[in-house]
Amino acid sequence: MSQTRRTLFYERHKALGAKMMEFGGWDMPLAYPSGAVKEHLATRKDAGLFDVSHMGRFLIRGRGASAFLQHVLTNDAQALDSGPIGAQYTIIANETGGAVDDAYLYRFVEGEYLLVVNAANRRKDWEHLRAHLAGFDKVELIDLTGERVMLALQGPKSSGLLEEIVDSGPLPAPVRNAVSIVTIGEARIWVGRTGYTGEPVCFELFAKRQDGLSLWDILLEKGASPAGLGARDTLRLEAGLPLYGHELGRDLEGREIPVPAVRMTRSAVSFSPLKKDFIGRAALEKQFAALDKIIANDFSSRSDLPHLIRPIALTGRGVARRGAGVFKGGRQIGTVTSGTMVPYWVFDDRGPRSRPTDRHKLRPICLALVESDIGQGQAVHIGIRGRAVDAVVVDRHLRSDLPPYARPVLR
Amino acid sequence: MDLPEDLKYSKEHEWAKVEDESVVVGITDYAQESLGEIVYVELPDEGSPVTRSEAFGVVESTKAVSDLYAPVSGTVTQVNDALLDNPELINEDPYEDGWMIQIAASDLSELDKLLSAAEYAKFLEEEKAREEE
Repeated sequence: MSQTRRTLFYERHKALGAKMMEFGGWDMPLAYPSGAVKEHLATRKDAGLFDVSHMGRFLIRGRGASAFLQHVLTNDAQALDSGPIGAQYTIIANETGGAVDDAYLYRFVEGEYLLVVNAANRRKDWEHLRAHLAGFDKVELIDLTGERVMLALQGPKSSGLLEEIVDSGPLPAPVRNAVSIVTIGEARIWVGRTGYTGEPVCFELFAKRQDGLSLWDILLEKGASPAGLGARDTLRLEAGLPLYGHELGRDLEGREIPVPAVRMTRSAVSFSPLKKDFIGRAALEKQFAALDKIIANDFSSRSDLPHLIRPIALTGRGVARRGAGVFKGGRQIGTVTSGTMVPYWVFDDRGPRSRPTDRHKLRPICLALVESDIGQGQAVHIGIRGRAVDAVVVDRHLRSDLPPYARPVLR
Repeated sequence: MDLPEDLKYSKEHEWAKVEDESVVVGITDYAQESLGEIVYVELPDEGSPVTRSEAFGVVESTKAVSDLYAPVSGTVTQVNDALLDNPELINEDPYEDGWMIQIAASDLSELDKLLSAAEYAKFLEEEKAREEE
């Protein structure tokens, strides 16, 4: 086995007593002694701090950078060049409309773009991008993974917490995907209102390696709870966000999952004329046309988009795990791609001003790849150890539109 | 690790508290620790028959699914329903609040096959040694 890499924060994780695991070639914290359930809950009510320095980080700059990114990514990279929105979700697509990877593109300074990719795909993405550099003049592609660190600070208290420690520079405007540059002590930190938890108040921070440990220490000192990959997974599942290898890439039978099968990716694809003929455009246009029809209950182009990722809530008792079958009228119509029990805070009321109580519960939820004519509200069953457990296709498991709290959508 | 002296243990990591024919069953401190955070339990209904060394239920943690094995045969007389909403009780207090079912044992001689605390401790040592090989 090849050697696993360690982030700058490895000794910090060990000192906190974290249980470590191998993930994407890195030795990462799965959970700290408090456990993934408490870390999930702390993120939803207060603030969770995640070491995400294992993510791949590429800097793309030079006069041809923008044109290159328009070609290899599905979103409109030029949209980041003006205004406060300096980040976007995007896909590195292949010619058939599948995902080589999903990624986040940031622009903190003029003419420089930072592409954040999945740890396990970093090498593959690098090779893919390099292979397409030919034909683009004046593009520099630099792997920054080793020299910059990345932390995610997520949850309702993260904004106040950052305000306390920032010495100069404004925090990004309070809208998702806004970016800014701040200084904390001597350190210059790139800040984006982004994250992988569904929290409406969310930040991802990029720092030079030499500034990383003091940033980690001060965030914990100010009250953020360290959270590991276990909580990161349940938080993203609850938020309905895809995980490459589960909801994107290939399915359990080895078939390519079309990019528009995942709701989140629909804002990651732009057919702007500025993008010209980008990689995957023709296939994606066809898939999106099929999606528009499916949404209008016209299934005549279903063969272009046979399956969609849907959130499913279990109403019976059981835990739907990856690989479990989804059934309708005794016929299998899909497969669970990610599923587990997730914790949630009980809120004191239903309205926009409701607040979490100090009581929490657990609920079984999943994401599943199901036939594309199975819509929201349909009753289905999940096969769990020979039993057919009642479940329902839902719109979402979590709502993030009433800050500062992300609220569970219950069945 | 906590191994109360007054309990009997199985090699499947269940404990049994024996009072005449009534046997209260749960999983050991070692079992809850290895499973990690428990988020789901499936238990039989009262009145169900259970058979020694066969599965009577399921426990799931954030990282693993595991069957629960009956240490003795008999009929389920009580079920700890509190665990259904609060499965974390098994992690917090595996020998008291985390109890799972009570069985009316049908064959008391089966109890002789269970281990004492000392025997179970030795068994765990041996398992650990085997794993490290």
